[in-house]
Amino acid sequence: MGAMSTESDPLSVHDQVVRSTYACIARFGMAKTTVEDVVRESGLSRATIYRHFPGGRDELLREAVAWQIGEFFIRLADHVEGSADLVELLDRGIEFARQAVREHALLQRMLVTEPDRLLGLLSTESTKTLPFIAAYLLPHLERARAAGDLRPGVDPVDASDHLSRLVLSYIGARGVVDLDDPAQRRDLVTRELLAGILRP
Amino acid sequence: MTPEASPDVRARLLDATFVCLARVGIAKTSVDDIAREAGISRATLYRHFGGKAELLEALGQRELTRLDAVFAAAVQDCATVGAACSVLVVEGAEFLLDHPVLGTILAIEPTAITPLLSLGHADAFLTAAAALVAPHLAAHVDDDAARLRGAELLVRITLSHLQSPNPQRSITDPQVAQAIVDQYIVPGFVGKSAIERIQA
Repeated sequence: MGAMSTESDPLSVHDQVVRSTYACIARFGMAKTTVEDVVRESGLSRATIYRHFPGGRDELLREAVAWQIGEFFIRLADHVEGSADLVELLDRGIEFARQAVREHALLQRMLVTEPDRLLGLLSTESTKTLPFIAAYLLPHLERARAAGDLRPGVDPVDASDHLSRLVLSYIGARGVVDLDDPAQRRDLVTRELLAGILRP
Repeated sequence: MTPEASPDVRARLLDATFVCLARVGIAKTSVDDIAREAGISRATLYRHFGGKAELLEALGQRELTRLDAVFAAAVQDCATVGAACSVLVVEGAEFLLDHPVLGTILAIEPTAITPLLSLGHADAFLTAAAALVAPHLAAHVDDDAARLRGAELLVRITLSHLQSPNPQRSITDPQVAQAIVDQYIVPGFVGKSAIERIQA
């Protein structure tokens, strides 16, 4: 790892270990990645790694998956930046997310080689992102309310919780609507996602 | 017909499979355990089922049929599409939450189930679940495609709330389910003309 860091800086040690774990997973797969591999990759001592990750190997794997999910949502937020309204935001967001999932080489490889191990972690770790998606959507809903665009009775906080659940669900599974078809995706966004939230 | 060849041998074996799975989960249940629990010989068991995988498959089918009957009874007296959607959400969530076998599996071997809800596998699961729910909306929604999309939306929202419950609002509370359905789901799937018809 090129990034230099000292053990007196807990944040960067944490980051360094997580990135090293991810590098090991990419090289060896999840089943074969050991704490010793992460020691070698990061150049940190076994003791230091256990001090930061007392759960050992399981915690390292979990944190590496959580870190990649976090990175994914940062890129997603970047991509939808500057959308004119909620419809465009969700439309572009779902399009980007589906494509990013499909093009994530390591993810696709591991879905084939060790699906059980990966999918268990993806499912538990990704649901932890719900509050972040909701927090991201909230200001957009509040802006829509200020503009008089929300249906009567819609509470922005409640609506952001509901929308975050659907966004995550559609990223994970396509369903009957073809999300790669722009017209169908737009129709889904205006119906399934927003018909109960925005005024017709 | 000998007593052991009677049709209820199958039922007894499936009952026994259910009991064993609820007690110790999938990995620790053997064909011998199931035969012993049912009070039926190994040889007779193998005359009815090819092995453990077949028993699990048949039990899964039987549980789906049971859920289907629960849904049918629940929607019978529903006067509106909103009422039907809301009882389907509550009954579906309670069926899954209170299910003894699912409870045991989630507690001791969650990776047997969580992949169903994640990337890649979730599509097949969603499609099957939506197909199970959709016919129960037939009394209120004429259009086949709209019914399937609506059923899928109900499944997505129910599973999301089961995976990551909203601490303030439990999906098994009929008032909460009704509010979510009325606010977000009914306008989302019936289509604009149908919404106008409902509001008129």
